[in-house]
Parts: sequence; C-alpha cells; structure tokens
Amino acid sequence: MGGFFCHFLALRNSLNPNKNKAFLRSEVSMAANIPAGIDKEQAFGMAETEMEYRVELFNRLAQTCFNKCVDKRYKEAELNMGENSCIDRCVSKYWQVNSMIGQMLSAGGRPPM
Amino acid sequence: MVASNSENDLKTEVPSSNEAEQPQIQAIRMPSMEEIRAQEVWNNCAVRSVASGVMGGGLGFMMGIFLGALDNPIMQEQMSGRQQLIYNLKQMGTRSWSSAKTFAVMGVVFSAVECVVEKARAKHDTTNTVVAGCVTGGTMSAKAGPKAACVGCVGFAAFSVAIEKFFDRHT
Repeated sequence: MGGFFCHFLALRNSLNPNKNKAFLRSEVSMAANIPAGIDKEQAFGMAETEMEYRVELFNRLAQTCFNKCVDKRYKEAELNMGENSCIDRCVSKYWQVNSMIGQMLSAGGRPPM
Repeated sequence: MVASNSENDLKTEVPSSNEAEQPQIQAIRMPSMEEIRAQEVWNNCAVRSVASGVMGGGLGFMMGIFLGALDNPIMQEQMSGRQQLIYNLKQMGTRSWSSAKTFAVMGVVFSAVECVVEKARAKHDTTNTVVAGCVTGGTMSAKAGPKAACVGCVGFAAFSVAIEKFFDRHT
C-alpha cells in the first residue's frame, strides 16, 4: 500500500516536475482572469474548488490504475517490477488524456463530434 | 485501505494493553524522495542482474569448494600427506573458480532477461520466468550445437518454473 502510494508520488513528481509551479500559475492566472471587483473570499472559494477537483482526480487515477495493474491475489507487500511499469504507463496515459480532454472542453465549449 | 491499516494496528495493540486508554494510531506517512529513490534502485535491471550475478558467483564458489574437497588425487599412495593436502587445495581452488564463473554468468543472464521481459510486458507472470530460463539454458549450452541449445532451453525453463513454484507454495 505504501509502495503503491509512493510510486504514485514519484510518478506525479517525475511526470510533472513543475507541478507546484503549474498549480500556482493556474491559480494566479485564474486570479488574473477575475475582474478586479472580486474579493478574497471568492478567490478562496475558487481555489477550494480547484483543490477538490485535484483531489478527486488523484483518487480516480489511483483507483483506476490500481484496478487495472495490480493483481488481486496479494503475494507480497511491495510492488514488483511488472506492476511498477504498468502503473507508469497507466498514470501517463490517464494524465495525458485528462489534460487533452480538459483543453478540448475549455477551448471548444462543445466537444467536436 | 487506509482504514484497514489502522484496524490492524488496533487489533495487535489492544490485547497487550489492559488499561482503558486507546493506543496511539499513527497517521499514514507518505515516503520521502530519498525513500523512493532507495526503493527505485532495485527496479533497475542492471543493478538487479549484477546483484544476482554476485550471489550466483558466491553460490558457485561454495559449491565448488565443497565438491572439490571430495576429489581424491590419482597417485594417492605415492604422495605424502602434505602433498595430498596441497593437491586437494589446488583442486578446490580451480573447481570453485570455474563453478563460480558459470553460476555468475547464469545468474546475470537469467536476472537480466527476466527483468527486461517483465518491464516490457508490464505483468508479473510465469511467462517471464519461462522466457528467461529458456534464454539462459540456451546460452549456456550454445557451444554444443543448436540441438543441445534447445534441450538446455527447455530443461532450464522447466527447472526455473519448478523453483519459482517451490518458493511461492505458501501463497
């Protein structure tokens, strides 16, 4: 279990080395897009929504890749190499597809059919 | 999964404490980057195959010493006790060295092939063991011709599957 989380942590840190910067940049850009009249409370609410979205994304990612990659008959506590590389690929695909869909939804407004 | 960890902590600690106070439950701690790197060292194929080769070499050395000690000199009556001892030691030395080299090569090849195949397939199976055993057996018997290589491949693959099932029999 700890091995699974640690691998996710390593993956997230390695896939997106500027993770913290990207998050802060998105926060700042979101703050920059808000008109000047909005006070701190609403900005805080938006940050909270963003945080909830991120937590939900992480949980869904962890659940999906765990169900896909890890065999249910637990033979040992640590992740072996096959599971490690499966998790690498699963998280990479999930992240890429998620960002792709996010861009399509935010830019187009309507998904191209 | 988080709840089950704390439940296990409770179950193991409650019988030992007779007082009414609850045992302290530790929060789940995410591993730091140093711990992650230390665990990732063993995921490297080169590191694993070298470690396997060293272990194989040690095993071969021990086996060679043991089997070399059992060897008796040819001209036993004409040698004195001390000459017999020197002969025995030389036999043990040469045999253990050649045996260590053989086992080390076997360990390196088997571990490297299994690691590469498992990383490529991204699955933990017996197929990885079969392929690795076949390649190892084939390379070790390759000098005796293609037919001996096939026989070595099949034989070593079967042997390695049997060993793996033997070590996993409790699960």
